[in-house]
Amino acid sequence: MSLLTLFYLLIFPGLLFTAVLGLSVGWVDRKLSARFQFRVGPPFFQNFYDFIKLLGKETLIVRDSVQSLFIAAPLIAFAALVCISALIGVALFFGASFIGDLYVLMYLLMVYSVMVILGGSATGNVYSSIGAGREMKLLLADELAFILVCLVPIVKAGYEIRLSEILSAQQLGGAFIASPSGILAFLIALICIQAKMALPPFNIPEAETEIVEGPFMEYSGPPLAFWKLNHFMMYVFYPFLLILLFLGGFSAGGWGVLWFILKYLLIVVVMIIIKNTNPRVRIDTALHFFWNIAFPVSLVALILAVLGV
Amino acid sequence: MEPSALIYFLVIPAAVSLINLLLPVRAAKALTVIALLYLLVRSIHSLSHLPLLSECGLWGADRLAAFVLLFVHILSLVILVFSLKGVRSEIQRAFFVLYPLTVAFCNGVLLSQHTIAFIIFWGLSGLSLYFFALMGQGDSYSQTAKKTFIIIGGSDVFLIFGFILLAARLPVKEWNLSALQMQSGDPLYYLAFFSLLIAVLAKAGGFPLHSWVPDFSKTSPIESTAFLPSSLDKLLGIFLLARMMTAFFAVELIVKMIIISIGAITVVGAVMMAIMQPNARRLLGYSTVSQVGYMLMGVGSGNPIAFAGGLFHMVNHTLYKSNLFLSLGSVEKQTGSSEFRDLGGIAKGMPLTFLMALIGSLAISGIPPFSGFYSKWMIYQGLLEQTKTLPAGYQIWMLICLLLAIFGSALTLACFVKFLHAVFLGRNPGREKIHEAPANQWLATGIFALFCIVFGLFAAALPLKRLIIPVLAELGIAADLSLIGYYDPLLLTGLFAIVFLIGWVVYRATRVVRYDEIYLGGMAAETRFRVSGVDFYREIRQMPLLQTIYTAAEKKYCDIYELGSKGTFFFSGILQKLHPGLLQWYLFYILLGLLLLLLITINIGG
Repeated sequence: MSLLTLFYLLIFPGLLFTAVLGLSVGWVDRKLSARFQFRVGPPFFQNFYDFIKLLGKETLIVRDSVQSLFIAAPLIAFAALVCISALIGVALFFGASFIGDLYVLMYLLMVYSVMVILGGSATGNVYSSIGAGREMKLLLADELAFILVCLVPIVKAGYEIRLSEILSAQQLGGAFIASPSGILAFLIALICIQAKMALPPFNIPEAETEIVEGPFMEYSGPPLAFWKLNHFMMYVFYPFLLILLFLGGFSAGGWGVLWFILKYLLIVVVMIIIKNTNPRVRIDTALHFFWNIAFPVSLVALILAVLGV
Repeated sequence: MEPSALIYFLVIPAAVSLINLLLPVRAAKALTVIALLYLLVRSIHSLSHLPLLSECGLWGADRLAAFVLLFVHILSLVILVFSLKGVRSEIQRAFFVLYPLTVAFCNGVLLSQHTIAFIIFWGLSGLSLYFFALMGQGDSYSQTAKKTFIIIGGSDVFLIFGFILLAARLPVKEWNLSALQMQSGDPLYYLAFFSLLIAVLAKAGGFPLHSWVPDFSKTSPIESTAFLPSSLDKLLGIFLLARMMTAFFAVELIVKMIIISIGAITVVGAVMMAIMQPNARRLLGYSTVSQVGYMLMGVGSGNPIAFAGGLFHMVNHTLYKSNLFLSLGSVEKQTGSSEFRDLGGIAKGMPLTFLMALIGSLAISGIPPFSGFYSKWMIYQGLLEQTKTLPAGYQIWMLICLLLAIFGSALTLACFVKFLHAVFLGRNPGREKIHEAPANQWLATGIFALFCIVFGLFAAALPLKRLIIPVLAELGIAADLSLIGYYDPLLLTGLFAIVFLIGWVVYRATRVVRYDEIYLGGMAAETRFRVSGVDFYREIRQMPLLQTIYTAAEKKYCDIYELGSKGTFFFSGILQKLHPGLLQWYLFYILLGLLLLLLITINIGG
C-alpha cells in the first residue's frame, strides 16, 4: 500500500476532502432550506460545530442491545463511504481505476443502507425496527431504477464497467447526457440519489413525525456524529457519480474547473429544491413510483442506449 | 495416487455406512469423522495427479470432477462436525448410516465414466434425499418426502431419456460419458438437451422444478438441509450442466439465452417468495432456489468469465448457505422454533452464531469483500462481454436478464436483513436466557464463515487460480481469464480497515458511555411493542400485480408438483369412476371384452 494510495484515501479525494466539502455543502442545504422557509439559516461552520459538539456528548446505549453492532454500524458505514468517495474521486479527478469498477461501486453503496438497518435493529427499539424495514424497502424501490441508470452509461461506453473507460468514452464522444437515453437516465438518476440519501420526499426511514428518527433514534454522541457526517459525505460523492456517468466528468484544463463546480452546484441545488418543495411520500407510494414509473422510463432509456440513440 | 484408488471414494463411505448399522452411535460418529477426514485428504491429493482413470475404465476424474469432489468432502466433513451434537436422538442411528452412504453416492456420480453408472448413482443420491426427508418432523413431513421423491425421481426419467438419446447410436459397451456428443443439427438435439436440463433443474432446485426445496427445508433435519439441497445437490446439478455445456452438446445461442432466462427468473421469482416467508427455514429454502439462478446464468452462458463465475458461485453458495442453515439450526436447537414471530434478540445470548450468520448473510447478499460478491461480479462481467457480441434484440434480452440478476442481489439483501433482524436482532419476546451453541456447532459455522472471507479476499490467488481456471483450461474454454472489470478486494479491505480504525480511535477518545432503557418518547417499552419482522415487506406483498402473483403462489398455482398432481388425479378420477366396485359393472366389462374378441376372431376368420 503506497503513500499515494493513502493520500487518495485520507486526504484527496477521500476522507478529508469529502468530509470538509460535505459539511460545507451541507451548509448550502441548510441555508437554502432556511430561505425556502423564510428563516435566516445557520452560519457557514455550523455543521462543523455540530459534529464537534456531538463528539462531546454522552453515548447512550440501550442496556439489552447488541452493543458491538450498535457502535460498529456507523463506523463501518463511515469507512465504506470514504472508500466510495476515494473510488469515485480518483476516477473523476485522475482518470484511474481505484479499488473497483461500477459493479463494485453499486454493491458498496448498499453497505450504508445495510449498516443503517443493522445499527437500528441492534437496539430493539420498535421505532428503529420500523425505520429499518422502511430503509430496506426504500433501497429495494430505488435500486431497480438505479441499476438501469448505471447500465445506460455502461452500454454507451461500449459495454465497459471501469469508471475510467466510461469517462474516456465521454471525453471522446461527448457527455452522455447529450442524447435522449442519457437525459432520461440522468433525470431518473437524480431522483434515485434523492432516495438513496433519504432526502424528502423520500425521507421515509427517518420520518420524524411518525417514527422519530427511525433507525437513528437511539443514537447520540460520537456515533450520531458519524451518522451525520456520513449523510453530509453523500452530498459529495453522489453528485460526483452523476457527473462521472452522465456529465462528462472533470477536466483540469481551461474553464474545466469552473465548469465542474457549476455542474456540481447545479445537481446539489436541484436536490435541495426537490427536498424543500415536496412532502414526504409513504413507502408504498415510493415503491409504486420507482417500480411503476421510474423503472419503465429507465428501461426505455436502456433500450434507446442499446439502439445507439 | 493410484487410479484404482478412486474406488476408495465409493467403497469407504459405503462400508462405513454398513458398519454404522452395527456400532453404537458414538462409535459411528467417530468412524464417520475419521473416514471423511481420510477421504478429504485423498481428494486434495488427487488434485495433483490428474487426470485419473481406473484400469477397468469405469471410474475416472478430470479436473472438473476432482474440483467438485474436493468440495463434496469439505462440506461433508464440516456439516458432520456440526451434526455430532444436536441431531434428534430418535433419528441418530439412521442419520449416521445414511450420511456416509450419501457421500458414496455423490462420489459415484462424480467419478462414473459410464453412462449407466452415472444414472444409477444420480438416482441413488435422489433416494438418499428421500430418506432424509422421511426423518423430518411436523405435520407434513411425509407429504414433503413424497413430493421430493416424485420430483427428483420423475426428473430421473428425463435424465435416462436424455442420455439414451445422446448415446443411441453407440453400442451399450461404448456408452462412456466422454464419448457422448451431439451437434445442433441433430434432429434429437433439443429433446436430449432439455431432458437433461430438467434433471439439472430438479436436482439443483431451479425454476420450475424447485418446489421441493422450501418444503424439504421446512420439515427435514436441518443438518440434512445443509447437506443436500444447499450443498451436494447443487454441486451435482451444476456439474451435470457444466458437462452438458462443454462436452455433451455444442450449445446454440438460443439455448444459452433460454438457460440464462430461466436463471434470471429463478433468481428474482424465488427471492420474491423468500422475502415474504414467516418461517426462517422456508426463507432459506427459497433463497437456496434463488441462488441456483446465478449458477445457471454463469455456467449456461458459455462465456469463459461467466462460466468460471458460475462454478465459483456454485462453491461459494454451498459454503455460505450451509453456514446459514447450520446457524439457524443452532438457534432452533436453543429456542425450539424457526418461526420469526417466536424469535428475536438472540444475538446477545448467541454472539458467535450471530457473527457467523452475519458473515453468511453479507456473503450471500454479495457485499464486498465477501466471496459471494466476487462470483457474482464475474458472472455479470461475463454476461456483459457476451452481450457485446450479440445482435440488438438479443442485447436487450440479455441486459434485462442482467438487470434481474443484479436486482436479485438487492432482494437477497432484503431477505437476509429480515432474517437477521427477526432472528438475532430486534427484541426478545420475553423468553428465558439463551445460551451459545455447543463448540462443534459454532466451529462448523465458523469454518464456513472463514471460507466466505478467504474466498472473497483471495479469490484470484486461491480458488480461481488453483482450482477453477485449470478446470477451464482442461475443458478447452480458456487458458486464462482476462477480466474486463477492476476489483482489488485486499486493497478495499485494507483501506476500509484504516478508516474504520480512525473512526474507532475518534470514538474511543471522545466517548462517555451511559446505559439506559429503550427510549419510546416516554412510553413503557413493553414486549408487545416489538416488530418481529414477519410483516417487514407487507407493502410489497400488497402491490396490485404482486398481490395476485403471491396469492396464486400461496395457492400453489405455480407449483409444478401440485399442478401435476391435479392433472394426474383428474385422469385417474375418470378411471376410478369406471371401477365402482359393483359386480354388475365388471360383468358388463367382461361381456364387452368377450364381444370384442368375438368380433376380432370373426374378422380374422372372414
